[in-house]
Amino acid sequence: MNDMRPNRLLQIAAYAVAGVTSALFLYPYWWMLVSALRPTRAIMGNPLRFFPERFDLAIFTEIGRIGGVELSVYAWNSVLITTLSTLLSVAVTALGAYALVRRPDLPGFRLLRYGFLVTIMYPYMLLVIPVYLVMFKLGLLGSYAGIILFLALGPIQFFLFEQFFRAIPGEVIEAALIDGASEAQVLFRIVLPMAAPITATVALITFLLNWSQWFPILVVSRTPDTYTLPVALLSMNSELGSNFQGIMALAVLTTLPVAVLFLMAQKRVMAGMASGAVKG
Amino acid sequence: MGNMSATLDEIWRGRIFYLFVLPFAALTIVFGVWPILLSIQVSFTASGTALRPTPTYVGLANYVSVFGDPIFLASLTRTLIYTTLSVGANLAFALGFAILLDSALIKRGNLFFRLAIFLPVVTPDVAGYVVWRWLYDRSFGALNAFLKMLGLPAFSGLSSADTAMISLLIAELWHHAGFYMIIFLANLAIRNRALEEAAHIDGATTWQRWRYVILPQLRPALVINTVYALIQFLKTFTVVVVMTKGGPNDQTNFVSYYAYQLFDQGRYGEATAMATILFGIVIVMSMSAYVIGERGANR
Repeated sequence: MNDMRPNRLLQIAAYAVAGVTSALFLYPYWWMLVSALRPTRAIMGNPLRFFPERFDLAIFTEIGRIGGVELSVYAWNSVLITTLSTLLSVAVTALGAYALVRRPDLPGFRLLRYGFLVTIMYPYMLLVIPVYLVMFKLGLLGSYAGIILFLALGPIQFFLFEQFFRAIPGEVIEAALIDGASEAQVLFRIVLPMAAPITATVALITFLLNWSQWFPILVVSRTPDTYTLPVALLSMNSELGSNFQGIMALAVLTTLPVAVLFLMAQKRVMAGMASGAVKG
Repeated sequence: MGNMSATLDEIWRGRIFYLFVLPFAALTIVFGVWPILLSIQVSFTASGTALRPTPTYVGLANYVSVFGDPIFLASLTRTLIYTTLSVGANLAFALGFAILLDSALIKRGNLFFRLAIFLPVVTPDVAGYVVWRWLYDRSFGALNAFLKMLGLPAFSGLSSADTAMISLLIAELWHHAGFYMIIFLANLAIRNRALEEAAHIDGATTWQRWRYVILPQLRPALVINTVYALIQFLKTFTVVVVMTKGGPNDQTNFVSYYAYQLFDQGRYGEATAMATILFGIVIVMSMSAYVIGERGANR
C-alpha cells in the first residue's frame, strides 16, 4: 500500500482544514470567557480583543443575585437535581432494561417497550406540555421530586443497558440458576457486577445530559427557587436591558463544570454515546 | 378461562421481573404514555373546557382550524425546509470531517480535533445558543467586527428575515454535528479494510474505493444519523427560544415553538392538535428513512 501513503501537500491541506474548523468550533468558548472578564462598554468598543484588558473576577460577585434568588441556590439546584436524577435514572433503567431483555415474552413487556419507544419519538418539547397537566394532577408542580422523576427517563440510557444485557451469554445465567441461585441473586451478584463499566458510562452521560436540561425544569417550577443554572441563564438572557457581561459570566458557570467533566472522561463519553445511538 | 389462568400463572412465576421493571414502567407510563394520550385527548376538546373534569368534545374541529391557519401552514413549511437543510448540512459536515479524521492524513492531534468538534454536544444548549446570539449581535458581536476588519459586508444574522434561519442552522450545526461525526467515526473504525486493499490491487481509483467499497459499508451510520437528525430538527425549539422567539417576521417560528406559544395563550386544543400532527410527521418520516435504509441493505 505504498502509494496510499499521503503526500506532503495533501497532508498540509488536511491539517489546515481540521485546524481552522476546530478553531471556529472553539472560538465561542474563548469569546465567552474573555467577555465574562471585560466590562460591557469595553466589549462594545472592541468585540474582537483576544485577551481581557485585565484579569478581574468581580463580575462573579456582581451576579450574586439573579431574579431575586442567590446564584448559589441555582448552582446548588443544578448539582442536586442533576445528581439525584442521574442516580435514579441509572437504577431504574438498569433494572427495567434487564427485565425486558431477560423475559421479553412476559405479558405486557413487549407493550411496555413499545410505549417507551413511542415516548422518545414524541417531540420532547411538546411532551413537556401534557406532562405539566400530569404534574398538576399528581400535585408535583413546583417540587424537586417532579423535576427529578421526569428527568430520570432517557433513550440513550435505556439503549446502552439493553445492548449490554443482550450481549451477556445465556449460559452464564443458566449456570448460576442450575447452581441454585435465585433470579435476584443472578442480577445482584453476577449481572450487575459485570455491568459496572457500562453503569459508569451511563451515569456519566446522564449527568452531562441532565445538567443541560432547562425546559422541563422551567415548566414544572412555580418560582425561580427550583431553577437550575441553565434556566437562570435563559431568564437572565430574556430580560430587557440585559447585563451582557453578567450573561457571559453565567454562561461560563453553566458550561465549565460539564466541559471539565467531559474532558476528564472524554473517551468513555464519546464511545458510550456512539454505541448507545447505534443501538437505537 | 384456562387461557387466562395460564397467563396469570406465567405472571406469578415471573413476578420478580415485574418487580424489577416496576419503577421503569411507572415512569414510562406516568411521564410518557399518559401525557401523550392526554395530549391527544385534549386535541379533540374545546380549549376553554380542556382542563375541566368534563371537557366538551369537538371532534376534529381543532385539526380543521389548525389546517386552516395560514400561520401554521407557513410554520410547517418552514419547519420542513429547515429540517431538510439542517439534516443535509449536518450529515455532510459530519461525514466529511469523520472521513478527514479517519484518513491517514491526520495522525498527530487527531484526538484534539475530535474533542473540538464534540465539546459543543455536551455543552448546555442554552449556554451555547446564548453565546451565539451575542456573537451575531451588531454592537457586541465578534462576527461582524471580524467581517468589518476584513472589509467584508456585514452579516445581518438574527435581525433580518433573510438570514435568521441560516443563523440558527449554523448555531445548531455547531451544537449537534459532533454527535453525528462520532457515529460515522465508529462506523468507519469497524469497516472491513481488506476489501479496500483488494479493490486497490484490482486497480480501483481512490474515488471508486470510496464510492463502491467504503460508502456502502457506512449505510448503518447513514441510516441512524438520518433518523436521529430528522427527529432532532423537526422539533427544533431551544435555539428559537434563546435566539429569535420565532422572529423576525415569523421566519423562525417553527411548529414546536408555535404550538408552545398557543399553549401559553391557553389555546390547548389547537396546541395539542399541532403536537399530534408533528408527532405523526416525525414517526412517518423517521420510519420511512429507516425502511428505505434497510431495504437498500437487503438489495
